[in-house]
Amino acid sequence: MVKRFPASALIGGGFILLLILVFMLLPLAIVAAASVTAGSFLTFPPQGFSLRWYGEVLASTAYLGAARTSLILATAVTASSVVIGTAAAIALHRRVLPGTSVLAALFLSPLVLPTIIFGIGLLIVASIYFGGPSLVALWVGHTVITVPYIVRTVAAVLSDADPQIEEAARTMGARPLQRLWFVVLPQARAGIIAGGFFAFNVSFDEAVVALFLRSPGVETLPMRIYGQLEFSPTPAVAAVSTLMILLTIVLIVAIERFLGLRRVAG
Amino acid sequence: MPHSLRPAERGAGAFGESILLIGPGAALLIGAFLFPVGQILVLSIVPPEEGLSIWTNFARFFEDDYYLRVAWRTFRLSVIITLVTAMIGFPLAYVVARTPRVVGYTLLLLTVLPLMTSVVVRTFGWIIALGRGGPVADLLSLAGLGARDATLLHTETGIVIAMVQVLLPFMTLTTLGVISTIHPHLEEASRTMGAGFYRTLRHVVLPLSVPGLVSGSLLVFALSISSFVTPNLVGGVRLPVMAGAIYQQATSTLDWNFAAAQSTLLLAAVLGLLIPYLALTRRRHG
Repeated sequence: MVKRFPASALIGGGFILLLILVFMLLPLAIVAAASVTAGSFLTFPPQGFSLRWYGEVLASTAYLGAARTSLILATAVTASSVVIGTAAAIALHRRVLPGTSVLAALFLSPLVLPTIIFGIGLLIVASIYFGGPSLVALWVGHTVITVPYIVRTVAAVLSDADPQIEEAARTMGARPLQRLWFVVLPQARAGIIAGGFFAFNVSFDEAVVALFLRSPGVETLPMRIYGQLEFSPTPAVAAVSTLMILLTIVLIVAIERFLGLRRVAG
Repeated sequence: MPHSLRPAERGAGAFGESILLIGPGAALLIGAFLFPVGQILVLSIVPPEEGLSIWTNFARFFEDDYYLRVAWRTFRLSVIITLVTAMIGFPLAYVVARTPRVVGYTLLLLTVLPLMTSVVVRTFGWIIALGRGGPVADLLSLAGLGARDATLLHTETGIVIAMVQVLLPFMTLTTLGVISTIHPHLEEASRTMGAGFYRTLRHVVLPLSVPGLVSGSLLVFALSISSFVTPNLVGGVRLPVMAGAIYQQATSTLDWNFAAAQSTLLLAAVLGLLIPYLALTRRRHG
């Protein structure tokens, strides 16, 4: 019997892992640390401890307005992409339509196409045909890039569900809408909820499409942070960023509870 | 996606129902995804003045030293970023695959967390970390690699460091998908036949992981050449990359046709990378 991992591999591997984890979490930790500085400038390590910059953010109409826009946008995007994505996932799951695999590829393609290309295309279309970018254009754009997440999570849950139950409902005389409402949607519930949290998170954090569709009076939090970073960011930007990290952690925990990240990632 | 056909559901009613279910999504993707991307292709061949060749916008790109330098920088940085990501991503994926479930799972969660935070927030962290007096610059000066007052902001090294962190999860997840299909018995067989741990890693695990590393590299390279938020903010105006240049032209100078031509070139490169990537990953799943 040989030892599975030699001591050098365990120690070396552990060390490398630790380095990778520090590397991965470093930027987030630094932002959080810089946000609680008592000083007037962005420094790391922070000078003293105070929550004054959080107070500053909560008193700033610019940040509150951007947060409001982001919340409204992310909520609207979640609603539209949950409805559209769930319906599409059910249809794709049934494999009744000809060319289902082509359709499935179409529904997942916004995940792989770089958002910069989609962003410029959307800007061009919004400007030529709809009189310029707007919050509505951003809503449509975010719905396109979040629908694939719902399709994936719902399809993953449905492929584990028992198809016999719907069959049983059919033979017992349930009509299509009844089967959908009382059998398929409850079966897909975990995927719909997890996908909804995903969609909210993606829309709330999205910067690329938002920057392309920049229009007067429409500013989301990532757009505002990007704008600040182009000039000279204050600790207030760190405070807002930390709040956004916390929101992401909450959403990840929620997704984890409903579905398990491994299934979404793999 | 499931691969089983369930004949009981293939009636005429099921067909109409499926059309209704997929209709809104299909309309959205055709109207708000395929159409905008198609518009880029159309605009890219519209010349700035009537009567000029449809290749005018492309010729402008290839005849201007500035844009060729930007494209070359984008390519060079993306190659480096991809190689570094593969070198870090492989051991990480191996450990996640071979440690007890709880440990591997926690590792995966900690790698995915940065992936799910906003790219502007992650980049902001790197701006502080790489800037003057930041921990990375301090570490380098401690190791004797830089001046006391050094900054990695506005350097290509800085871009690479920040981009590797942003893209590592993609490499790890893709490689992990392949490594977790390698049966541990293969490693045990190699070990009982007398090969050491590292020899087994080099001659058994690594060759079997190549499909994962290749598809991970294609994905990371494609994402890397099309990123602009991180390179723009870390590299600044002195080190423009292709996606950053496109963003400038589309939003500031409003030179859409030229921006569309560059986007078309970028799109061609990305598709050239993603089609083999999709073929590789599909064969694995199917």
